[in-house]
Amino acid sequence: MGHVARAFEEAGIATVTIQVGAFRHHAERMRLPRVVVTRHLMGRPLGAPHDVARQRQVLRTALNLLEEAREGGTIVGLPEPFRTMYRPFAGAGADAEGRETSSTARAHLDP
Amino acid sequence: MSVEASRAAESETLELFKNSFAYGTRTDLLFKFLKDLSSEEAAEFLQGLLTKVGESAGDGDVARLLDHVYAWQVRAYAPREDGVHGGTWAYEDAPFAPLARPLSDARVALFTSSGHFVAGDDPEPFGVKNMSQEASIARIVDFIRSKPQLSVIPADTPDERLRVRHPGYDIRGALADPNVAFPLERMRELARERVIGELAAEAYSFMGATAQSRIVRESGPEWAARLRQRGVDAAVLVPV
Repeated sequence: MGHVARAFEEAGIATVTIQVGAFRHHAERMRLPRVVVTRHLMGRPLGAPHDVARQRQVLRTALNLLEEAREGGTIVGLPEPFRTMYRPFAGAGADAEGRETSSTARAHLDP
Repeated sequence: MSVEASRAAESETLELFKNSFAYGTRTDLLFKFLKDLSSEEAAEFLQGLLTKVGESAGDGDVARLLDHVYAWQVRAYAPREDGVHGGTWAYEDAPFAPLARPLSDARVALFTSSGHFVAGDDPEPFGVKNMSQEASIARIVDFIRSKPQLSVIPADTPDERLRVRHPGYDIRGALADPNVAFPLERMRELARERVIGELAAEAYSFMGATAQSRIVRESGPEWAARLRQRGVDAAVLVPV
């Protein structure tokens, strides 16, 4: 994709590239114009499935960079790690015998 | 299992085991990076993973497992002194096209190498109909020698009409939610909110495990011309 970025820039189309941390060195060596690097797993550069808030955050960072970068080779790293929908039980949701109650089950399902 | 197969399994080395995740007997593209670790490093990765599984069994939080995998993906692909993973492509110059108008007036296109296409519009690589993900993985060598095929995806395509196939990365995340690698729905939202002027009528995806030299010589300039003809000011690029 680095070569696509370079071809687009040479044709006058501004680009911003969103990629995972494992590929950061590609962006640096290819001197890509504007890059957002995420701490996400390969294959999921925008974040976890259904993590709408993170996906929006990544895109907004990228779009801002389109407007704000003043020179090629501008790289912005997002510090937030890949996250899942896990929420701690915090001691609630189990009865005296430790059996799960319905509120525990809901804690898994609520995004 | 035959006696012979049993003996072979018993004698499998860690070196063979870790390499088998990259286009081998245990192919799992989320873990293909194991091949880029030494056996000692792979052992360190696996031991650390097991320790964290134990910790997660204690508190139920699996985030540390994913952090661990992420950290080792970074480590496995980092450039090394022997030249491995530095990438064969390096440039001195950084071409830079300033955004021609304010973002709130700009026409922005989504362009990814995630291998997405619309149901009913399969690019049918090598003339094969309904190629499965597994079949594409088996032909990785053919793909990386071939010119990429661009899928044009109408920007109003709903997520449930999107399909994905790619022999170079683990598509499980993209199957669960295309927005992890092809964030078309998110881009539509930002256009509705006027963060961008408008989303270009066409979004694009190709399968990035392809001949880079063909992108340099042919596809890159061809695709740039297509976007220029459609008045695209800027592109959000997502490699996988």
